[in-house]
Amino acid sequence: MPVVAAVACPHTPQLLIRPETEDRELVLRVHAAYAKVKRLLTEARADVICVIGGDHVEGFFLNAVPSFAVFAGTSVSGTFGRYAYTLPVHESLARAILEQGIEREFDLTYSQDLKLDYAFYVPLHFTMPQPRVPIVPLYVNVYLPPQPTPRRCYAWGRALREILDARPERVALMASGGMSHYPGTDRYASPDFDWDRQMLATLTAGRGAETARLTGEELDKAGNVELRTWITLLGAVGDARAEVLCYEPSWHHGNAMVVWPV
Amino acid sequence: MNEHYFFPPAKAYPLNRCLFLLKSDPAFVARYAADREAAMEEAGLDAETREALRAFERDRLIALGAHPYLVFMAGLRLRMESQPASFEYF
Repeated sequence: MPVVAAVACPHTPQLLIRPETEDRELVLRVHAAYAKVKRLLTEARADVICVIGGDHVEGFFLNAVPSFAVFAGTSVSGTFGRYAYTLPVHESLARAILEQGIEREFDLTYSQDLKLDYAFYVPLHFTMPQPRVPIVPLYVNVYLPPQPTPRRCYAWGRALREILDARPERVALMASGGMSHYPGTDRYASPDFDWDRQMLATLTAGRGAETARLTGEELDKAGNVELRTWITLLGAVGDARAEVLCYEPSWHHGNAMVVWPV
Repeated sequence: MNEHYFFPPAKAYPLNRCLFLLKSDPAFVARYAADREAAMEEAGLDAETREALRAFERDRLIALGAHPYLVFMAGLRLRMESQPASFEYF
């Protein structure tokens, strides 16, 4: 089956638990865009959602920092304060991605035992179709240098698409992350919204392949280390023209939701 | 060179591990809340690092090698524990 949906979503935890510092109306507008993604995933009749996410030093600490990893267990759990999630994993698809990815010379790490990060469950909290479908968590290292290059992310996404195209499942691809934000740094309150808007213009023009030529330093400078998850997805969707469902710049974060025709 | 997120220096491993536990290990957070000094002892932090963590000053922690993201999320998680009513839950 072909890939039946391709989306990118933010996952900032302030969308799940809103501190008083956050504009409630803005948060609700992002939630409305999540609702559009939920409808899209439902109408696409996805059998499984492959979520390409960047771990926030949750599933993997400094005991092991994989550039790319696949969770290949039967279910995966994570907690965030009062929220607790256990999500079924599409084990046979996860295993196929792992085995065929290795065959294609992407030296993937795999795990059957890790704590799921909020990069995965925050967007799914708002977008999971009912009845829910299993997921495959696909990890890209975004926060712990040295991270994989955008070129390598794009190449892995292209290989992923070849693997998925030969599978029987209807697969939705979701990139989780972005856009500009600098958590924990002195630039937290001044994201690079201009960079985000230029990038969105590039993507809506169908020039996603250009992201493979970005450098890691550029992504770090622009507060877009997480764009590696989008770039991986772009490898899978090629030069499809993105449609922007929302771009909501808050005082610390460029909240963007984007969908690609597949 | 990255401006914002850098390779975590090995000498800062105990600090980064302590921040990781504050972010992700409720049992450690409970021990930290009950007896911060004992929890920092358990985490193997040196005197200078303990002082920076007591003050929870971002720039000092980062200068000591803390990963900025871990500082951010450990701080948020501690606020979630200490001021749960200051959040709206969706």
